[in-house]
Amino acid sequence: MRRTLPLAICLIMGIVMMVQFFVPHPISVGFYDLTTKWIRIVSAFALVLGVGSLILYHIDRLQRKRPGWAYSIVTLIALVGTAITGLGWGVKPGAPLQEIIFKNILVPLNASMFAILAFYMASAAYRAFRARTKEAALLLIAAFLVMLGMVPVGAAIWGKLPDVAEWILSVPNMAAKRAILFGVALGAIATSLKVILGIERGWLGGGK
Amino acid sequence: MGFWERLLKIDRKIIFIVMAVLVLFPLLKPLGLGVGSGPRAKAVFDAVDSIPPGKTLLISVDFDPASMPELYPMLVALMRHAFARDVRVLLCGLWITGAGLADKAVTEIAPEYGKEYGRDVVYLGWKAGVDAVILGMGENIKNVFSVDYYGHPLDSLPMMQEVTRLRDIPFMVAISAGTPGFSDWLLYGHSRYGLRVGAGVTAVSAADAYPYLQTGQLTGLLAGMKGAAEYEVLVQRHNYSKAYMPAVAAMDSQSLAHIVILVLVVIGNIAFFVTRKRGR
Amino acid sequence: MGVITLLLTLVLNQASPPVILARDTPDDAGKSITIRWQLTGEEVPEGLILERGDTTGCFQVLGVLSSTETGFVDEDVCDGVGYYYRLGAVFGADTVWSEPTPLVKSAPQWFNRARLNILIAMLVFFALVIYFIEHAKAGRYLFIRRIAGLDAVDEAVGRATEMGKPIVYVPGLGSVADIATIASLNIMGEVAKKTAQYDSALLVPNRDPIVYTVAREVVKEAYTRAGRPDAFRPDNIFYVTSEQFAYAAAVDGLMVREKPATNFFLGTFWAESLILAETGATTGAIQIAGTDSVFQLPFFITACDYTLIGEELYAASAYLSREPLLLGSLKGQDFGKLLILVVIVLSSILLLLSRISGLQFLSAIIKFFNVS
Repeated sequence: MRRTLPLAICLIMGIVMMVQFFVPHPISVGFYDLTTKWIRIVSAFALVLGVGSLILYHIDRLQRKRPGWAYSIVTLIALVGTAITGLGWGVKPGAPLQEIIFKNILVPLNASMFAILAFYMASAAYRAFRARTKEAALLLIAAFLVMLGMVPVGAAIWGKLPDVAEWILSVPNMAAKRAILFGVALGAIATSLKVILGIERGWLGGGK
Repeated sequence: MGFWERLLKIDRKIIFIVMAVLVLFPLLKPLGLGVGSGPRAKAVFDAVDSIPPGKTLLISVDFDPASMPELYPMLVALMRHAFARDVRVLLCGLWITGAGLADKAVTEIAPEYGKEYGRDVVYLGWKAGVDAVILGMGENIKNVFSVDYYGHPLDSLPMMQEVTRLRDIPFMVAISAGTPGFSDWLLYGHSRYGLRVGAGVTAVSAADAYPYLQTGQLTGLLAGMKGAAEYEVLVQRHNYSKAYMPAVAAMDSQSLAHIVILVLVVIGNIAFFVTRKRGR
Repeated sequence: MGVITLLLTLVLNQASPPVILARDTPDDAGKSITIRWQLTGEEVPEGLILERGDTTGCFQVLGVLSSTETGFVDEDVCDGVGYYYRLGAVFGADTVWSEPTPLVKSAPQWFNRARLNILIAMLVFFALVIYFIEHAKAGRYLFIRRIAGLDAVDEAVGRATEMGKPIVYVPGLGSVADIATIASLNIMGEVAKKTAQYDSALLVPNRDPIVYTVAREVVKEAYTRAGRPDAFRPDNIFYVTSEQFAYAAAVDGLMVREKPATNFFLGTFWAESLILAETGATTGAIQIAGTDSVFQLPFFITACDYTLIGEELYAASAYLSREPLLLGSLKGQDFGKLLILVVIVLSSILLLLSRISGLQFLSAIIKFFNVS
């Protein structure tokens, strides 16, 4: 029963949602809206479980003095502080949640994390871009031309370089991407079908 | 360990320092490498330029603070272009984390041109449910956003008396850092309501937008920092703004960053071949 | 026929009335009528006025339009109620009105004909997958090519046991609605079975609360099935945050502190992919990544030891479990791809042929493949 019920719900809802895609009638649209609302409600409950897990995980780390336990204090203070600010002063423009937490903490922190990419790209490219084989050499040349063509220096070196870069991006690159996307799309449909039919049960923990 | 071997195993902290110095230097002392104007950015510019004064440009702010350096200059340049031509600007967003960024642009850019909130610019805010939001705006914007981001009822805003649904908007630009983004505006806004859509995207996702340009579904494209810089240059060239151009300034840094990576790749490969030859 | 006659009679008249047609918008949820018109005569009007009338014969202005427009979708109508439409062409002070359209009513439809092609493609593909599943059930041998990244799973888990270090499994940043996440959870079950057998610690930081609850059940079940329910540590599967870069920072911190022997990055990833993979690489872990996010593949390929590209991620659970039913569906996928290739080649030929005069009708066949 523990396994049969979720499988039955999955089968019924999977087929119903597939049929819904082809039916434009308001009853069908209304049903779609209703299910998306259900998803939001279920997500809200799951968030409670998630936050519970977060608190327990960090309290456990503190109690056992695991490596980096001091960061758990920061996490718990941030969690409680944000919740109090949001619940106490609301989320409207001008509220401390927007003015202090969003503008002065979240924005610079997120921008910093994103900016790390510039450094990591350089170190990853240095380590990995080696012409070990003919294919790797080809990839290297293509990357070289695209990187140079995408900045004003490239155009200054040779006026046609931006066009070459554009061509590489929009023709061979796009062809390869589309090939991958075909595989991805068919794989996704096949996986969905396997889940709906109950053949794929890994998400239930596996087993028959 | 010889020189080349050591070079192959170079400490990445050295790479980081070189990168940091070369990115910072042009920001402090611009090199003025210059930015041209590509056809895709020009297409967005022409589309905004063809909006009659008094009509509305819709901008969807679908990005978060992480992609702000690349995409926020696009938002600012687009608003300056529109305001300079007395085109009204309507903003909305499909990303909740973009709400504060749109608010910042409204409060900072509109006063530069003496534009009044509610009459020349309105920010609708964010609403959950991507397809429902766009389709709803196609029918009646007030059905989706009864009040704006600041809590004013839409009925109380003069601009919203004339802009009631997507068909009242001659052109829009979706500035997207991912999903949801411009593809949703194309899927629901363009295909269903004939909304002309231009896009501003991060450089890494620019290739995703190319097929839509090829089919003509996208009117134009601002791709990454380069796209933003091209737009800024176009706006200044037409005397719509004389303000500081952050994307143009950042392009010097980006140019140097690309060169650093290219030089590193070349050095790495020379070291690789030398050590391989010795190994044989 | 009536329209053609009207067009012929009016075509030479300079300030002649427009010809207007209205019909229920097809394949929709109702409450919509599509109006199309054609201007006749040589003189271009200064503007157009579209009016809607009800059964009492009273007309009201629906919109003032530019003369370049050729259509309008009236979405302010009630289903089952009859409406008339007429269009006025404005020439200075004069307005030349079209004949009102016949009574038109809007209604919702039960099938979207524009999606017939998708339905056919879906049924064909389902039939292929089910056929090969049945084929596999009969016990026939199905070849599956070697996937290096999946062959390395055993080695990766074994390495963790030898080193006495944990394994970090990142199930992506997507929600449970993403197929890549489901695929990742399937693989997680197989990996968890191996970690239970080898007695290695499996750490699973989660970004989505629903994925977190499912992941915990998957790992728990896998440990039970491996006969090691006692070794399952619920605290090792935990929720971190829904914020993208905060999550990346937390996982980076985890990798730097715990120095895992192996990192799995399988699922949906965005811009944080390189931040995770490059940090993992510096800790010296074996890294196995896989995603269907095409933009992130180059980053994983650059920074990880093995990368599952696109559909290989979906194939992983079949590959690892070697269950005939799952392998059968892979074969179905391959034939689906073959079918798509045939359609692409044929459509390209038809498209080229349709440019030749006399063969334009072929473009109608290509239109069938358009997706809406």
